[in-house]
Amino acid sequence: MAAQSEQVPSIMRQGRLTPWLYLLPALIVMTTFIVYPGLNTFYLSFRSNDATGWASENCQAGEPCWGLLENYRYALTSDIMLTAFVNNLKWILLMVSGTVLLGLLIATLADRVRYEPLAKAVIFLPMAISFVGAGVIWKFVYDYGTSQVQIGLLNGVVTALGGQPVSWLTEPQINTFMLIIVGVWMWTGFCMTILAAALKGVPTENLEAARVDGANEWQVFWGIMVPQIMPTITVVITTMVINVLKIFDIVYVMTGGNYGTEVIANRMYIEMYTSLKTGRAAAIAIVLIAVIVPAMIFNIRRFREQEAIR
Amino acid sequence: MNRRIHVLVTAVALAAMLLAACTPATQAPTSPPAAGGIDCMGAKSGDEISMFYQWSGAEETSLQAVLKPVVDACGIVIKPTSTRDQALIDTQVKAGTPPDVAFMNVTQLTQYKDQLKTIDSLGGNKANYASFFTDPGTVDGKWLGLPVKADIKTIIWYSPAVFNAKGYKVPTTWAELDALVEQMVKNGDVPWSMGFESGDPTGWTGTDFIQDILLVQQGPQYVLDLISGKVPYNDAGVKQAYETYGKWAKDPKYTVGGAQGTLSTAFLDAIYKPFADPPEAMMVKQSGFAGGEVVKKFPDLKYGTDYDFFPVPGAQGLQGGADWLMAFSDKPAVKALVTYLSSTTGGVNWAKASFGVSPNKSANGNYTDPALVKFGDALANTQGFTPDIGDTIPGGFGKAEFTAVVNYVNGKDLDAELAAAAKVQAEATK
Repeated sequence: MAAQSEQVPSIMRQGRLTPWLYLLPALIVMTTFIVYPGLNTFYLSFRSNDATGWASENCQAGEPCWGLLENYRYALTSDIMLTAFVNNLKWILLMVSGTVLLGLLIATLADRVRYEPLAKAVIFLPMAISFVGAGVIWKFVYDYGTSQVQIGLLNGVVTALGGQPVSWLTEPQINTFMLIIVGVWMWTGFCMTILAAALKGVPTENLEAARVDGANEWQVFWGIMVPQIMPTITVVITTMVINVLKIFDIVYVMTGGNYGTEVIANRMYIEMYTSLKTGRAAAIAIVLIAVIVPAMIFNIRRFREQEAIR
Repeated sequence: MNRRIHVLVTAVALAAMLLAACTPATQAPTSPPAAGGIDCMGAKSGDEISMFYQWSGAEETSLQAVLKPVVDACGIVIKPTSTRDQALIDTQVKAGTPPDVAFMNVTQLTQYKDQLKTIDSLGGNKANYASFFTDPGTVDGKWLGLPVKADIKTIIWYSPAVFNAKGYKVPTTWAELDALVEQMVKNGDVPWSMGFESGDPTGWTGTDFIQDILLVQQGPQYVLDLISGKVPYNDAGVKQAYETYGKWAKDPKYTVGGAQGTLSTAFLDAIYKPFADPPEAMMVKQSGFAGGEVVKKFPDLKYGTDYDFFPVPGAQGLQGGADWLMAFSDKPAVKALVTYLSSTTGGVNWAKASFGVSPNKSANGNYTDPALVKFGDALANTQGFTPDIGDTIPGGFGKAEFTAVVNYVNGKDLDAELAAAAKVQAEATK
C-alpha cells in the first residue's frame, strides 16, 4: 500500500472529493437551471395566482373547489384545458404516426435511388427553418382572401380547380389538422435521417439471403428491415411523442390557440404572460411534465437496452 | 448585396458629415432656451434612464422628438428598449431589475402597483389632466400612471370620395347608421370591413366594436359597471350588443367574407379594404391609428377627401385607450422626465410632434395634423371617456373577452360564451 502511493504522484491520487469536483460544474448548471426552477414551479402550482397565498384563495364561491389543488382543478377539468388535451392527443396520434411512417417510407425509397443525398436534403430542409418561420410560411399557404383573388397557395389551387375557398385556420373541424400538417412537414426529415441511418446498419447478408430464398421486396421490408430497426423506431416514436407534447410555436404563431386549436403548452404561456396567473401556469407545467416523464423514462430504458446489446 | 452595403456606408458617412456640419448651428437654439419651462429636478448631465416602450419606426422617432427638449436641457441619456414582448418586462420586474420607466397599458399599473412610484412624488402635474384620464391611472388611491398618448376608438373610417360618388351621407344617429347599412346592402355594396386576426389577442377589434355598441345602447355608466363587476358580462345588455354586432359580423352581405372573413382577416388588412380601388367595403370601425395605416398603404390618399372618420353615431361618450408612463425609479432624471411630460411645455411639444393625441390638456390647439386637430377637439369636448373593458379588468379577462367574441362569430352558443367570460370577470373583480 505504502509502496504504491510512492509510485503515484500525490497530485494524481483521488480522494473521495475529487469525483465531485469533476461533477461540480455540471451539478451547478443542472441545479440552477433545472432542479431549482422545477421545484419552484412545483411549489408555485400550489400558490395563488399572484403567488402571495395558497391556491385555495383562487376558489370561487358557488364553484367547485379543490382547496390546495385548486390550480390542478383548472389544469385538469376546465373546458379550455380539456380542449387542449383533446388537441394534444390529435397531435400525438397524427403527427407521430405521420412523421414516422413518412420518414420510414422516404428513408426506404431514397435508399434505392441514385439521387439519394438530394432527395434526403430536400426532406430535411424544413428542419433548418425555425418553428416561427415555418408558421409564417404556412400561414401564407393557408391564407384565406375575402376578394376573388386568393393569395394563399392552397386556396389558389382549390379555386383554380373550381372549388370554394376555405378558411383553413378558423374552421373548427379542420384547423388543428392543418396545423399538424405543418408539424409533419417540419419533423419528417428528422425521423427520416435517423431511420435511414438505422436502415444502412441492416446487414446486407441478411437481405441478400432473404432475396435468394425468394422473398419479395415487401416481405424483405416487413420481415427483415422493420424488425431489425425496431429499437430505433421505438426511440424515434418516443422522442417524437415528447416533442409533440411540448408543441407550442406553430400554434402560437398560426392561430394563437384561438378557434379551438388550443394546446397545453400554449395555454401555459397564456396563463403565465397574458392572464398573469402564475399558479395556474405552474400547475399546467407540472401536468405537462407528468405526461412527458413516462415517455422519457421509456425512452431512456430503450436506449440503455440498445447500448447493452451493442 | 455588396453594392448595397457600399451605398449604406456612404449614406451613413454622408449623414455623419452633415450632422457634424450642423453641430455649430445647434449651439444657437431655435427653440426657447432650457429655462423656458423645463425643470431638471436635480438631474445631472449624463444621468441615464432605462426605458421600455412598444413603439418602433416612425413612432419611436416621434417619441424622441417629444423627449428631445428635456434630453437636451438636462443632459439625460435615454437607454431605450423597444419591444412588444410583454413577457420581457414581466421577467425583468419579477427579477427585481425593472427599467426606470416603462410605457405600457393600464393592465400593468395594477400588475406592478407594489413596485411603481407615484406620479405625484415625481412632480406630475395633475391639473393638466381630466379626471377620466387620471382615474384609470389611479390604483388603490395612488396615482401610478401618467397617460401620455391617447387613442380614440369610437370612430368609423370611410372614404368621403366613395360616399359622395354613391350618394351616401355620414350618419348622425344610430338609426341613421342602421338605415345607411341597409341601404348599402340594397345597393349591392358591402358596408363593413372587419378583421379579427391579430395573433394571441385575436378578437380585440370585435370587443372594441361591441364596447362602442354598449356606449350607444347602454351608456358609459353601464360600461364602468362592467369594469367594476357590478354588472356581469352575461347581462342582457351585453348579449344585445353582441347580437347587434353579430348580425353584421357573421353575414357576407354586411361584412367582407362573412363570419370566416371576419375571423381570418388580419386587422390591418381590414383597415385597407374600404380604401382599395375598387373598395371592398364602405366602412371600417377602427381606432385613430388607422388613419396612419391608410396613408402608409396608400401614400397618394389625402385626409379629408379620400379618407376621413366620423364618430360612432349615438355613442354617449368615447371609448379610448392610453399609453401610460409608469416609473419604477424615483431618481432625479425620471423626475425631470415626468415633470416635463406633464407640464404645459410637454403637452405642447407632444402635439407639435404629431404623435397621436396627448391627454395633457395643454396639447389641444397645438396640433398641426388635421386629423389630430379633429381628435383633439373630440377629446376636449367629450362628456365621458371609458377605458377598454378588457384592458382594465385584470387577471385574464381581456383574453376571455376575445375568446367569447371569436367563438361567437365562429358559430358557438352566445350564452355559454358570455357565461364563461362572466366567470373570469367575477374572479377578477371579486
